[in-house]
Amino acid sequence: MTEIVGTVTGPSGGPIAEAAVYFLEGPVPLPDIAQLTDGEGRFQLTAPTPGTYRLGVRGPGFAAAEVTVEVGGEAEVVAEVRLS
Amino acid sequence: MSEPEAGFDAHAAVTNGAASATPRLPAFPGPQGTETGPPGELGMASGLGDGEGAVEGDIGEASFGEKDAAGEGGGVAIIGSDDRELVTHTGHYLWRAIASLRITARDGSLWVGTAWFISPRTLITAGHCVFIHGNANPNRNGWVSSIEVVPGRNGSQRPFGSLTSKTFWSVRGWTEKGDQNLDYGAIILDQPFGQNTGWFGYGVFDDNKLVGAQAHVAGYPADKQPPGATLWHHALPISSVSPPKVFYPIDTAGGQSGAAVYLLENNLPVAVAIHAYGGSTSNSGTRINSAVYQNLRRWSL
Repeated sequence: MTEIVGTVTGPSGGPIAEAAVYFLEGPVPLPDIAQLTDGEGRFQLTAPTPGTYRLGVRGPGFAAAEVTVEVGGEAEVVAEVRLS
Repeated sequence: MSEPEAGFDAHAAVTNGAASATPRLPAFPGPQGTETGPPGELGMASGLGDGEGAVEGDIGEASFGEKDAAGEGGGVAIIGSDDRELVTHTGHYLWRAIASLRITARDGSLWVGTAWFISPRTLITAGHCVFIHGNANPNRNGWVSSIEVVPGRNGSQRPFGSLTSKTFWSVRGWTEKGDQNLDYGAIILDQPFGQNTGWFGYGVFDDNKLVGAQAHVAGYPADKQPPGATLWHHALPISSVSPPKVFYPIDTAGGQSGAAVYLLENNLPVAVAIHAYGGSTSNSGTRINSAVYQNLRRWSL
């Protein structure tokens, strides 16, 4: 398994707390639970197997965003998300 | 499905609390009367809760608001276009028997899920909403610390307030093995909130009854604004079943884990599965088979 870690920031680069981060797509069925970013905008999801994952991000008051992450079996992959 | 391990009872109930899993008899009676025998048994008849009569005519007409104008589609749990509809009358049954969850995991991380009442003090949800398994961060795995339960939430409106629970149930097959076929659990409240909200019925049904039956999923997705705070519903026929799972093309998104997958029997909800996973061509939930049914009975308070 691989940790997908990252930070959700706003248009000015400041962290967005309590932004929801969730899987939209992956190589296997994935739990339909969503994480909320911490006070520093950070999140960490687990990719159970290598493959292409698409993450959705919804910050309070922001438009929805997406990020695609390629997981190759490494311990950690970083995905930064800037909301607009 | 892997071969069962000899001597391992995957459906053995486990809790982080001190309660015992003693089957409750008789079942909580509802307006439709008592249960019948397995299989195809109709379990807890739906309870409407205090202060309200039968559902207001057609559930669909009475309760649904507008579709999401943005129509954000694509992705694993949204199959094709996003056909979910916003539910605005969340103070009314059956919607008020569904709760948004704000989950605090063991490491302090926060998560969004959904649960539904089956009795005054018990809500059912996905196992991964009460016990995190298989996370790359080992400090996160295990029973969650607490869950804030908000029945009938509609954005900032909390028509029944909220309660925080620290008592949960699941089964060994989930907590020890992370078996996705056994991904179900319960949240126990200190107070009988469900007396005010009402609760869902649930039952065990044959494959023939389920496949092609119009199934409903209503939950609190995090891809809507504000995240995890509004109730969204979609219904489509069940596409297939296996002994432990039910599969359906009903649109869902992160945050809807734990929602009831239910049929309408005489206009009252009867759960047949617990929504848990988004897939590429269909979503799936843990089927309420006889073993799951018995645990839901045991957990009812």
